[in-house]
Amino acid sequence: MRISAGLAGVALIGLVAACGGEDGGGGTAAEGGGGGDASSYPTESIRMIVPYGAGGPTDLTTRTVGACIEEELGQTVVVENLPGGSGALATTELVAAEPDGYTLSLVTAGTMVLTPLANEVGYTKDDITPVGVMTEVPSVLAVGENSPYATAEDFFAAVEAQPGTVTVGTPGASTPQAIELQRLAEEHGVQVTAVPFNGNAEMTTALLGGNVDAVLINASSDVVQNIESGAFVPLVASPEERLSWLPDTPTFTELGYDGLTLSGSTFGLAGPAGLPDDVVSTLEDTLQTCLDKPEVQQTLGEEYVLEEFAGAEELGGVLDRTQEVYEPILG
Amino acid sequence: MGILEGIGQGFSVALDPTNLLYVFIGVLIGTVIGVLPGLGPTATIALLLPITYEIEPVTAVILLAGIYYGSMYGGTITSVLLQLPGEAASVVTTFDGYQMAKQGRAGPALGIAAIGSWVGGTVSVIGLVLLAPPLADLAVEFGSQEYVALTALGILLVTYLGTRHPVKSLSMAALGLLLATVGQDLITGTNRFTFGSISLFDGFDFVAVAMGLFGVGEILYNVEKTEKAQALKSKISNIWPSRKDLRDSSGAIARGSVMGFFIGVLPGGGGVISSLASYATEKRRAKDPTRFGKGAIEGVAGPETANNASSTSAFIPLLTLGIPPNVVLALIFGALLIQGITPGPQLIDQQPEIFWGVIASMAIGNLMLLILNIPLVGFFVQLLRVRAGILAAFALLVTMAGVFSVNNDIFDMWVVLVFGVIGWLMKKTGFEPGPLVLAFVLGAILESNFRRSMLISGGEFSTFFTRPMSGTLFALMALVIIWSTVQGIRRRRRRSRPSTPGEEDLAATGTTAEPEGTPGAENTDDTEGATTGAPRDGSGSTGATGSTASGAQDGGPGPDRG
Repeated sequence: MRISAGLAGVALIGLVAACGGEDGGGGTAAEGGGGGDASSYPTESIRMIVPYGAGGPTDLTTRTVGACIEEELGQTVVVENLPGGSGALATTELVAAEPDGYTLSLVTAGTMVLTPLANEVGYTKDDITPVGVMTEVPSVLAVGENSPYATAEDFFAAVEAQPGTVTVGTPGASTPQAIELQRLAEEHGVQVTAVPFNGNAEMTTALLGGNVDAVLINASSDVVQNIESGAFVPLVASPEERLSWLPDTPTFTELGYDGLTLSGSTFGLAGPAGLPDDVVSTLEDTLQTCLDKPEVQQTLGEEYVLEEFAGAEELGGVLDRTQEVYEPILG
Repeated sequence: MGILEGIGQGFSVALDPTNLLYVFIGVLIGTVIGVLPGLGPTATIALLLPITYEIEPVTAVILLAGIYYGSMYGGTITSVLLQLPGEAASVVTTFDGYQMAKQGRAGPALGIAAIGSWVGGTVSVIGLVLLAPPLADLAVEFGSQEYVALTALGILLVTYLGTRHPVKSLSMAALGLLLATVGQDLITGTNRFTFGSISLFDGFDFVAVAMGLFGVGEILYNVEKTEKAQALKSKISNIWPSRKDLRDSSGAIARGSVMGFFIGVLPGGGGVISSLASYATEKRRAKDPTRFGKGAIEGVAGPETANNASSTSAFIPLLTLGIPPNVVLALIFGALLIQGITPGPQLIDQQPEIFWGVIASMAIGNLMLLILNIPLVGFFVQLLRVRAGILAAFALLVTMAGVFSVNNDIFDMWVVLVFGVIGWLMKKTGFEPGPLVLAFVLGAILESNFRRSMLISGGEFSTFFTRPMSGTLFALMALVIIWSTVQGIRRRRRRSRPSTPGEEDLAATGTTAEPEGTPGAENTDDTEGATTGAPRDGSGSTGATGSTASGAQDGGPGPDRG
C-alpha cells in the first residue's frame, strides 16, 4: 500500500512538473546585450517584442518577419509577447533598451501615437527609430447583406438626413477607427453614433445580427472571408487609393472626405531612439528582401503587404502624420 | 455545415493523437482531483490555465473540459467510500452511497455512478450537438440589450440560488463588478482606478485573479488544516451492479440525464444544483421514500448522472453566446481569450474544429472515464494518502511560473499573491470566491453592453423591456427574486414548527448547496452538509465517521446555519 501511494505521488508530481516545464520555454527572453561592432551587426541574437498577445495578427506578422530575418542574418530571433497597457508595457521596454539593434519591436500608430497622447506613459513617438513597414491592414466601412444602404452614397445620404441615428461599430474606444469617426463628425459634419466593441469578433456578430447599422472594421482575414461570402458589403475603404482586391469600393478621399486615411493599421518595425544608421539600413534591406519573398507574403496575407516597400522614412512619415492629426483631438 | 459533417470533423480532431492524449490527461487529472477533497475542478483549472497557452486552442479546451467532467466521476469515489465528497457536486451521493458502502455494496454504488455518469454525459453530448447550432443562429440576433439581460440573470442566479448566504454572495458579486471596472473604460477610452500604473491599463488579468482566489487561496487554506490520512474501511468487491440494481436505477438515470442537461444550461446552474434536484425528484417519485438515506441505489444513480450531464451542457451558453454559465466555464472562457478566440455565436461557423472537436472529445472522454473508473477505483482511493503539503508546494510553484508566462509581466505575480491572501481570508470568513470571479468576468460584458444599449437606443431605458427577448429575461429575473423570497419565508415558517425530517433536510441542503466551483465551500460546507444531512435524513448511525471526516476537513470556523 505504501509503495503504491508513493508511486501515485511521484506520478502526480511528475505530471505537474512536466506541465510546468512546458510553459517555461515560451517565456525565456534572450538578453539583448550591449556593445558589438556595428559594422558586423548582428553578432548575437535579436529580441523582437510584440505589444499584443500571442495568436493575433500582430503576433503573426512579427513571427513571420522574425523567422525570415533570422534566416537572412544568420542570428536567432526571439519573439516575445508583452501585452498590456494598450501597448505601453512593450513600448516602455523598447525605449529603455540599448539602441544597438538587438532589441526591436512591432510598432503601430496606436502604440506610438494614440496611447502616449491619451495616457501618461513616459514616451513619445520620438523615442524610437523607425525601420520599416511590415504590413498594413486597411479598414473598411461595411454593412450587412440585408442593409438598406447598398452604396456609400446611400449610407451618407441617410446619415445626413438624420444625424446621429445611424450606428457604426468600432473595434474599441481608443482605436484609429473610433478617432476617424470623430474626425468625420468634426471635420466633415457627418454625425454617426459610434458604438465601441471589443475587437472584430464582437463587431461582426453585432453587424450580422443587425444590432448596428455599419462597422468601421480592420479588414483582417476574418473580415475578408465575410466580404467574400457576401455577409459583409464593403462601402468605403480607408486608404487613399482603392484596394487592389476591392476595386469597386470607393475610398473616403474619393467621396470627398479628405484626409480620412488613418483608420487602417500600419504594423511597423522599430528600434529604440538613436539606432546607428548602418544598423537601420541593414535591417531595412533585410526587411525589404523578406517582404519580397512569396512565402512570406503568403503567410502575412498578400493583401496586407504593400506593393511598394515602405522603409524607415515612410514609417516615420506615417507616425508623424498621425501625430499631427491626432494631437488636436486627443492632446 | 451539417451535423453529421460536423461530427465527422469533430472526431477527426478528437482522434488526433495529441488531442487523444490530452483528453486522457484531462479526465485522469479530473478523476484525481475529484478524489482529493482539497482540490476541486475550479482550483485545478485555474492553476493549469497558463499551461494551455502553449497548446492549440482546441486541445486546451479538450484538456480543461476533461478535467471538469472527470472530476464529476472522481468526486463520487470518496463520497461513497468515505462519506467525503471530493468535490461539491458529489455531496448528495454521500447520503445513499455511503450507506450502500456500509452494507457492503460499495461496488455496485460506484458501478452505477460510473454508468449513470456515462449515460448522462453521452445524452448531454447529443443534446449539445442538436441544440447548440440552432441556438448559435438565434444568438446572432442577440443585441447588447439581451446580453445585459443574460449577464444580469447569471449574476443574480449565482448569488441568489444555491448559496447559503445571499447577502454575502451579493456583496462578493458587487466586489467582482467593482474590480471589473479597473482599467480602460471600454466606451470612452479613459482610464479608471489605474493610479497611473501601466500594468493596470487593461484591468486586472482574469487569469491572475482566478488563480489567486481559487488556486493560491485554496492552497493556503489546505496547508492550514491538519493532515490526516484517510483509511479505506470498505472492501470493494464486484463492481458491476446486479440486474435488479440496473432496473431500479434506469428511471433515475433517464430523469437525471434530462434534468442535468437543462440545469447545466442555466446561468448559475451546474453540478451541485442538478444533483440536488435529481435527488429530490427521485425521493419524491419513490414508492417508499423512507428507503432514501438508507442505501437506495436511485439516490446514487440519479444525482451522479445529473451532475455529469450538467457539466457537459454548461458548454452550450459558452460556445454559442460567449457567456460562461458558471465559474469553471468562466475559466475555460479565459483560456479561449488567452488564445485570441472570443467565444460567441460565430464560433461554430468560424472555428468549427473547436466546437465539434470538443464535443467529440467529450464523447471519447466519457468512455475513457467509464473504462478508467471501474477497474481503478482502488488505486484512486490511495491518492488520499498524498501529503497535502507536498501537493501545495508544487501547486504554488506551478501557479507562479504559470501566471508569469501568460503576459510575461511580474505585476501579475503580485496580483496572484494578493488575491491568494484575499481568497484565503474570504474562505475563512465564509465568503465565496465563486460569485466574485463570475461577476468579475460578467461585469465587463454587462457594463459594455449596457452602455452600448444606451448609445444605440439614444439613452432610452425602455429598450431593455420593449425588445421581446430581453423583456422576457427581465421578467424571469423578477420571478426568481419573488420565488426565492417566498421560499425563504416559507422555510422560516416551517422551521418554527416541528417538521418532517426528510422534507426539511432536502429543503435545507437545497438552499445551502454551493454554486458550481466554489472550492472554498467544497470542504467545510459540504462535509458539514454531509454530516448533518445524512444522519438526519436516515438512520442516524453514520454520525461517528461523518464527524471524523468533517473534523479532518474543517479548518476554519464553520459557516453558521442561519
